[in-house]
Amino acid sequence: MTRDEFERNKRRFGDDVGAWPAPFRQEARAFVTGETARSPQDDPDRALDRLVLEAALMASDEQALTHKVLARIDAGRRSTWSSFLPRFLLEPAGLAACAAAMLVAMTLAGYQVARLQDDLQDSELLALASGARLSDNGLSGDGLSGIAADPAAGEDSL
Amino acid sequence: MVPAAVQHEEPREDDELLARVAAGNQGALSELIARHGRGLRMFAARYLGNAGDAEDVVQEVFVTIWKQAARFDPARGRASTWLYRITANRCIDQRRRRALRTFIGLDDVRDEVASQEPGAEATTAARQELAIVRDCLSRLPERQRMAVLLRAVGDLDIAAIAEVMGGSAGSAEQLLVRGRRALRDHLRDHLAMAAEGLERKSS
Repeated sequence: MTRDEFERNKRRFGDDVGAWPAPFRQEARAFVTGETARSPQDDPDRALDRLVLEAALMASDEQALTHKVLARIDAGRRSTWSSFLPRFLLEPAGLAACAAAMLVAMTLAGYQVARLQDDLQDSELLALASGARLSDNGLSGDGLSGIAADPAAGEDSL
Repeated sequence: MVPAAVQHEEPREDDELLARVAAGNQGALSELIARHGRGLRMFAARYLGNAGDAEDVVQEVFVTIWKQAARFDPARGRASTWLYRITANRCIDQRRRRALRTFIGLDDVRDEVASQEPGAEATTAARQELAIVRDCLSRLPERQRMAVLLRAVGDLDIAAIAEVMGGSAGSAEQLLVRGRRALRDHLRDHLAMAAEGLERKSS
């Protein structure tokens, strides 16, 4: 930390360095005491912390961050309801839930269709068992089954 | 031994800012970002080893704070601890997401945190040393790395580290002690190797 940075932070956060937010606080303390990670210190842990802090330092633009955060908040406010479904679907859990719901729906639909077909086959088998004969045009007297319920009706159609 | 508490005043200013954020004041949020954005970003970047992910995490954190500031209770802890707790949780989520993407081949993870002066790395011994520290940090087990960073970057005491990481003070202290020991061991090995390399070159 340079003298200019220290003075600038003093104007931002006040005279009491102890009340500054981290990591400004640690940097200011080091600046005031003149200690660095490499200068001899009584506490080796403090020296290591200082070294880790120096290694972690990186350029940072809080104003740009503020703009991005506020933009996100505004975007979220505008599209809370309109984009709820797509955002939900983009989440892995949402995608999995949707896939599971579709699978269940398709299974139920499949059962329904199969049951209708089964009903048809059941009535055909019942008619066959009661001695009905297949009609050539594929329609019986009631127009639903390929088996004539009345054996005589089947003969008439020949 | 690690000191039980760090000697610094409680910045109650953050509590007031959070109360104003809870009331919907965007200026207060900007002020909060100015105070803590840098620290949270440094912590996330070093923990995740990726500047882009860290930026995204910190943005998410402040959006969360905007939405949930009313849930902060000053009686239960410091505001900075709450901020680091949210950030730590987001970092863990981000790491899991990244691991999943890497596992299914969508990502190639590399340490992508820019130094303070890009391109200036390795020009002096001090910068080389910091690059070695960053490398050693990335080799620490995740929870040890988190404890070390919360202490060094966030300036949190043991109780606050325990609160952020969701454990007891004893386990947080152990993590910190082990993390520091492992970091020192890595650094010693690295520096010995570097010295050996220099000797070989000069001979």
